[in-house]
Order: sequence, then C-alpha cells, then structure tokens
Amino acid sequence: MSVEVIFPVMSEKDPSGEGVVGTWFALDGERVVEGQLIAEVQVDKVSADVEAPASGVLRHRVAEEAVSNQGAVIAVIE
Amino acid sequence: MTTTGTSTRRLSTAKAISEGIAQEMRVDDGVFVMGEDVGAYGGIFGATGDLLGEFGPERIIDTPISETAFIGAGIGAATEGMRPVVELMFVDFFGVCMDQIYNHMAKIHYESGGAVKVPMVLMASAGGGYSDAAQHSQCLWGTFAHLPGLKVVVPSNPYDAKGLMISAIRDDNPVLYLFHKGIMGLVWMAKNPRSIGIVPEEAYTVPIGEAAVARAGTDVSIITLSLSVHHALDAAEQLAADGISAEVIDLRSLVPLDRQAVLESVGKTGRLLVVDEDYLSFGLTGEIAAIVAETDPTMLKAPVRRLAVPDTPIPYARPLETFVLPKTDKIVAEAKQLIA
Repeated sequence: MSVEVIFPVMSEKDPSGEGVVGTWFALDGERVVEGQLIAEVQVDKVSADVEAPASGVLRHRVAEEAVSNQGAVIAVIE
Repeated sequence: MTTTGTSTRRLSTAKAISEGIAQEMRVDDGVFVMGEDVGAYGGIFGATGDLLGEFGPERIIDTPISETAFIGAGIGAATEGMRPVVELMFVDFFGVCMDQIYNHMAKIHYESGGAVKVPMVLMASAGGGYSDAAQHSQCLWGTFAHLPGLKVVVPSNPYDAKGLMISAIRDDNPVLYLFHKGIMGLVWMAKNPRSIGIVPEEAYTVPIGEAAVARAGTDVSIITLSLSVHHALDAAEQLAADGISAEVIDLRSLVPLDRQAVLESVGKTGRLLVVDEDYLSFGLTGEIAAIVAETDPTMLKAPVRRLAVPDTPIPYARPLETFVLPKTDKIVAEAKQLIA
C-alpha cells in the first residue's frame, strides 16, 4: 500500500494556489522513516517543511524546483 | 522529528546550523540565542529555524532593533559564564554596534589579564549576488579578521556549518561566525546545489583554524572561502575539461588562519590564485599572497593573482553586481592566465 505525500496547504486565501517544491532532502528511490524531513516547499516567499507521512521507499512525483499546487500529491511512499 | 539512523541524511546549511545550536542547547543550559527575528521567524536566513518551539522565548530571545544593546547584553552574559549565540542580522550593520564588538567582546579577555572569558558566538549573514545593494551585500570578514581578539569562521557547506557552529559555541573565546546567504540552501534565494548536503545527526565538531582541500589538483591552487568555494569548484570542473588540474582550498577559518595549508598547496602547484568576495585592497587576498612571499617566493612559477571585489560598493543593478563579484567565469579566466 502506498501513502501519498501532499504539498501542505499554506495559504488561507488561495489553498490550492501554486507553489514550488524547493528542495528534496530525501532523494527519489530513497528509503525514508515516518516523521523524517523529506522536503521543503515554498508558496510565495514562505517555506514549509514536509515530513514523511509513512515509512517506505520515496517516489518523487514532482521534480525539485518544479511548480506544483498546495494540496497536490508531490510524492508517494511505497 | 524522527531520526533516520542513516549516514546519508541531507540538510540545507541553514538547517544544519540550527541543528548544531539545538544540540548544544540540549546539553548546556548556558547556551541561548538572541537577535532580531531569531524566534518565530526562525532567523531571516533560517539559521535559528525551529528553535523557538523547542526552547521557548526565554532561551530564544527576539530583540528590538538595537544591536549595541543586545550584543552588549550577550557580552555581559558571556562574562558571567553563559554561552550566548547572538545574531547580527546582516554583517553590514556592524557599524552601529562596533564598539561592543571590537572594544569589548574582542578585548575583555586581554584587558582582564586573562581573568575574564567571553565565550560568545556572534553570527551574521554576509555576501551578495541577489541585488540587495551596497548596505546588505558585503562580506567584511577581512575587516574583523584584521582586529586582534576574536576568531573568525566562514563555512561553505552544511557539514562544516554545523561542525563549526558547535566548535564556536564550545570555544572559550569570542567567535564571529559569518554565513554567506548563498550557501544556506534557501528556497527563496538562488540555491546552489552544494548548499544541500549530508550532515550526520549526532553532534560533531569541525576544528576552528583548519582549512580543507575541497578538490585536489596539481597545476594551480585556488585559495578561497565561503560561496566562492562553490564557484571555484565549478571553475575547477571547467578547467579540468581543458586539461588544467586545479586544487581548491576552503579556508573555513580566517582567525586562526591555516597558513600551512596554503603553503602545502602552493608548494605542490607553484601557482596561486586567491579568490575572495570581500574587497580587494587591504584584505584576505593580500594576506594569503604575503604568506607565500614571506615564506618562500621561489615556490611560485608565476606571479600571484588576486580576484576580489574591486574596491567599489556592491551595486544594486544585477549586471553591475555580477560584474564585480568573483564568479566562476572570472575564476576560470584568471586560472588560465596563471597557466599560460
């Protein structure tokens, strides 16, 4: 069973607005542990940490520095 | 946050600094942080991110815009045995509080005949490259390294940033810790890939006063520090494609300065290029050249070359700023001239 990694909602005014996956601290295909810091995302100039919601193998769905949306799936953990 | 238990965990430089401070705060009640926006904001460049949540406002203290007062308060706490980490938001702001820094922080130990220690870290952001103009883009490490009484460290990557911060906190002397904004790995700033790297989870130290060979080579020594290490490593790759083997030395500390590392590298290559994002005259580039000149100038196969900001305020306009900064293309050109 895979668990989705969601771009956190950071903007009250525009909760599905665009943001950037700034940094993947955990690389594509890396084994991660639940609670581990795996990414930093940014909306406008505000950034937020993303922690692994489960343990398993991380599969990126959005590339580093690519645009995504708040609430969107940016990776899955298998 | 859960630990991974692996040695491959990657962090940004900003998070590595913050983690180093946190680990020292957990084992030493005397360590605390003070400065503008170090609390809820996490430091304007992220060096104190997440600390307020764990340690609270009594140990992570947001201050008013009054650098003289809060640096003075840090000095007072340090002389009473605490180990403050005080952030001066931009090193450019030192003018307003310099009396505290160089007449008190740097001199109390000497003037007390060694009876009073000042185990304090003064941390500040430095450097340009992002159009923040002349009062927010300077490096100025040469200014402080010139003054006796304080150590000066300038990390270039996440691993060294954490290890040097822990060393600085544990040091009984005042340490000025300057981080270039371009090495912090901030998403909202032009992000250098080397600003994210593997950082061990446990506490460790990087010795103050030891340079590192960032890349070994045989034809030319590029002696540099901070963000310029990244540019020099990029330059070394381009030079390698042209058959030139460049050695890149990351000084990491200015005081004490690892003179031996400079001499060993230049003794091997015979060619010296010093690269510095600080101003050219009366600064680091001249100091490094002097080490070789005073020791044995016959080790040089060619005259020393210096690449630094050409004695002008840092321009706001991006093309002008780019023109004065010692970036990769200029390092490549200077190295080729040395070899020619």
